[in-house]
Amino acid sequence: MIAVRSALILTLGCMATMAAVARPVSYVGGWTVIEESDRQLSSALVHYTPAPSLSLGLKTEINRDSDFAIHSAHPTFLAKRWFGADYQGNLYFHGGLGIASGIHDNPGSDQMAIYGGVMADWETRSLFVGYRNRYLEAGDYASQFMQAFRAGFAPYVGASGDLHTWLMLEIDHRPSDPDSVTATPLVRFFKGPLLVEAGYNLTVNQPLFNFTYRF
Amino acid sequence: MNLLIKTIVMITALCLCLFTNAREHDHEDHTTQNMHEHHDHQEADSGQAADAGHDATNGPILTRTQDIDSALAQGGEPIVADVLGVVCDFCALAMNKIFSKREEVAAIYVDLDTKALNLVLVPGASMSDQTIADLAVQAGYRIADVRRGNEALGTAT
Repeated sequence: MIAVRSALILTLGCMATMAAVARPVSYVGGWTVIEESDRQLSSALVHYTPAPSLSLGLKTEINRDSDFAIHSAHPTFLAKRWFGADYQGNLYFHGGLGIASGIHDNPGSDQMAIYGGVMADWETRSLFVGYRNRYLEAGDYASQFMQAFRAGFAPYVGASGDLHTWLMLEIDHRPSDPDSVTATPLVRFFKGPLLVEAGYNLTVNQPLFNFTYRF
Repeated sequence: MNLLIKTIVMITALCLCLFTNAREHDHEDHTTQNMHEHHDHQEADSGQAADAGHDATNGPILTRTQDIDSALAQGGEPIVADVLGVVCDFCALAMNKIFSKREEVAAIYVDLDTKALNLVLVPGASMSDQTIADLAVQAGYRIADVRRGNEALGTAT
């Protein structure tokens, strides 16, 4: 089983030379709201883009497994964008600094939390591959590494303003979790300023729901 | 893992169905994003975008929408700019947001099919290639080429 999972990760890894969150840096002057909920975390991020290569945001995330929350300042830096007539590739560095606190029945005290990682993506109008990772250090609450590969395709190519549909598969790897490698097929809908993703983690039977709104 | 394999097979089958249904839809039932009179919004205008043509030598010509035609009728200069990296609606939205803030712009349409930014300026207004390139950078993209006037309309001799 481990060999099969490893092979799957490696295959996707090879495909995913590089996206995860859709456009974590917007146009200059643009605001973006991003909600993400996966097998372990629920988070909300609001960011503003003051420069073509930088977004500055505030993020709140809740770790449902370990009952702690992190409130952080969250910058994202677009390190490189590759342009082509038919494709776009991006390399981002993201990070955050904030406070981790216990929630629900967790009596833990407030502690400093810091995290950072890389996101990369490559897409055409019908193909998409992406990768992201993050290392989190949150005192007594967590020292976590995660990474995720994603690949997908659009079953049809929509024009400007159409409803765009993508079918994707995400493989995530969280070494500190009992189910360290999981698979989540998902569907992405894209129309105008709104992006919505819905999926289901087949390994741990947890839903995935993400949305991004840009204004 | 069996469940994963089944899911992948189901998704593949679903995709084939969607793809089959979408083939007729593609390039025929376009919805346009129009910016009109500097209003910062996207407006569904189904069926109004005429097929964008390609000049045999110079690339895509102006994509016609109601707003583009209206601005042309008022005597505005047409501009077509080839944009690198425009692969999704967020890209089109970014270009719309940045360019529609400019008083020189009377109408805008980002055509994902031709990968071109289509502009018509306010009568008497001008916008340099450098300004267009700089604004595209603010949107996160890069301009490869700019055509104006008859060349943008595909009527240059």
